[in-house]
Amino acid sequence: MIDAFISVLKISLKSIFANKMRAALTSLGIIIGVAAVIVVLAVGTGTKKDLAARFSNMGTNIIFLRQPWDLDESISSPKDVTMDDVRAIRELSSVSAAAPYIQTSFSVKYKNTSVSLSALATDTDIFKAYDWSVEKGRAFNDKEIDTYAQVMVLGATSAQTIFGDVDPLGKTVVLDNIPFIVVGVTKKTGSSGFGFNIDEGALIPYTTGKVKLNAGWSKTDRRALDRVVIRAADFNQIENAKVDIANAVRNVHRIHPLGKDDFQLDDMASFVEQAKSTGTMMSLFLGIIGAVSLIVGGIGVMNIMLVSVTERTREIGIRMAIGATGWNIRMQFLVESLTLSCMGGLMGIILGIVSTWILVKYMPSLSAQLSMSAILISAGFSAATGIFFGYYPAYKASKLTPIDALRYE
Amino acid sequence: MALIDTQDLYKIYQVGDVEVKALNGVSIAIEKGEFVAVMGPSGSGKSTFMNILGCLDKPTRGTYLLDGIDVTATELSKLAGVRNRKIGFVFQGFNLIKRTSALENVELPMIYNHTPAALRRKKAMAALEAVGLAQRAHHLPNQLSGGQQQRVAIARSLVCDAPIIFADEPTGNLDTKMSIEVMDLFTRLNKEMGKTIILITHEPDIAQYATRLIKFKDGQKISDEKQTPTGAKPAATEDL
Repeated sequence: MIDAFISVLKISLKSIFANKMRAALTSLGIIIGVAAVIVVLAVGTGTKKDLAARFSNMGTNIIFLRQPWDLDESISSPKDVTMDDVRAIRELSSVSAAAPYIQTSFSVKYKNTSVSLSALATDTDIFKAYDWSVEKGRAFNDKEIDTYAQVMVLGATSAQTIFGDVDPLGKTVVLDNIPFIVVGVTKKTGSSGFGFNIDEGALIPYTTGKVKLNAGWSKTDRRALDRVVIRAADFNQIENAKVDIANAVRNVHRIHPLGKDDFQLDDMASFVEQAKSTGTMMSLFLGIIGAVSLIVGGIGVMNIMLVSVTERTREIGIRMAIGATGWNIRMQFLVESLTLSCMGGLMGIILGIVSTWILVKYMPSLSAQLSMSAILISAGFSAATGIFFGYYPAYKASKLTPIDALRYE
Repeated sequence: MALIDTQDLYKIYQVGDVEVKALNGVSIAIEKGEFVAVMGPSGSGKSTFMNILGCLDKPTRGTYLLDGIDVTATELSKLAGVRNRKIGFVFQGFNLIKRTSALENVELPMIYNHTPAALRRKKAMAALEAVGLAQRAHHLPNQLSGGQQQRVAIARSLVCDAPIIFADEPTGNLDTKMSIEVMDLFTRLNKEMGKTIILITHEPDIAQYATRLIKFKDGQKISDEKQTPTGAKPAATEDL
């Protein structure tokens, strides 16, 4: 049996190699399909791992308060999120910190150096919320916040980029033509947490950000804070904390007990869900491309196998005359299409691995992780394609009568 | 019992409204070890008759017993095994498989009866030796002359130890010298190995090698006579 299979395999390889160019072009669809499947699965796996790692770094007792993007139209006079909310939230025992959160990008100039960086307009509670600390100098104080002071705390990496070996403390940098004095540098966190990457950013008082830099979404309401970042006191009580916060904010916004919220609360769990579903959508989309490519490749295999059967009608007749059964003929052509698609699959796997490697090398922000299951799945797909699309031509060949096949010119 | 025994074979084709009788009641018995030549003009039904005898086709009516097997009662799809065991084919166009060495071509019938690889190789080599082509075993068909290709085909027909060889115009594509070589080989296989040989030809010279001559016309047997082969040279065996 194995012996017979080997001889059939030999015949298949011979006929495939007799038409190398044709075989290569036929396999192209399968090569691309399999490579796409491999890359998709690698990116999918990598992204999921990456997300998990980022969220575990962040700590999961962070809650964001903001006005929803798609505010319910039935709410007549929605109120912006302001410091009134922050102060009310700080009173709650289930909350350990609450800070305003307005993120903007600026170009920062110092002498001849100009760097673009992300600045967070906030207050000192941000350190408690995110577990950040000042390594050099100090954080800005309440007085500076009240007086719209032009002071700044730099992230560790930003300080290094702008100042190099020079001590940044007391130096003046220019943000959008407004001079700021560097009062402190944060300790390196080493991780880019979800939300704001402090190492590569900077902190300024939220008052200064709103009034002097005109930061934030709302350009009309000077009191509006884009978001409030809140740290729940206990991770296990995060749902209770959310209820407390909602009640406090409803109270501040004077919402009728039966009225709808004009704000929304997001915790990490909901971010994780969102990110995951985005990742799933992405995988699904690329997966469909892979599937379509495999189907197109399969049709190519079917086409070329039909050509091959026609071309070799006489050979089929000879084989039948000397004792091949219809089953023998069917197996021969099935093995041939299987060989063709598996060779395509193998090349696709190699192309997929190389593509993943190149993708990761030139797009460091993308995480991809090859897995054995991805390779096995795509190998399985290419084999299934070969059998599925090879069956009809093989069946057609096996139904020839020896006498008609022998007469074929 | 005769090796081949046909009773009243008919093969009728329907062409539009017209019935064409390719075979019109043919009864022939051929004993083991005979060397039969079948002659007739084209359209005489000799090819149809051969296809039926070779189990490549089935008659519309009549019975055909091959070595005691009722072929007419067997499904066409089941006849592959019968062909493999009982019959060796030699065709006018050689019908070797391209891109496949002489040795592998000869091995082919044994793949379909599951002969182990080592034995396959051994028997194929022996068959090639019998037709005097052992040195050409690894040549491809297009590297061999017509006569050599035909001898490879003969080796292929021998390799499963089938008792019958059907040769359909085996010298049709060969020149005189090669034709003599091939016909001498058939004579030797008939005499020395006891093979029953059934030869279709339209050349009287070639038919002279046989010990019995059957003539066909209009789908019927018109004559059937024993003859003394004159074409076979006594020294032929040494020539190979």
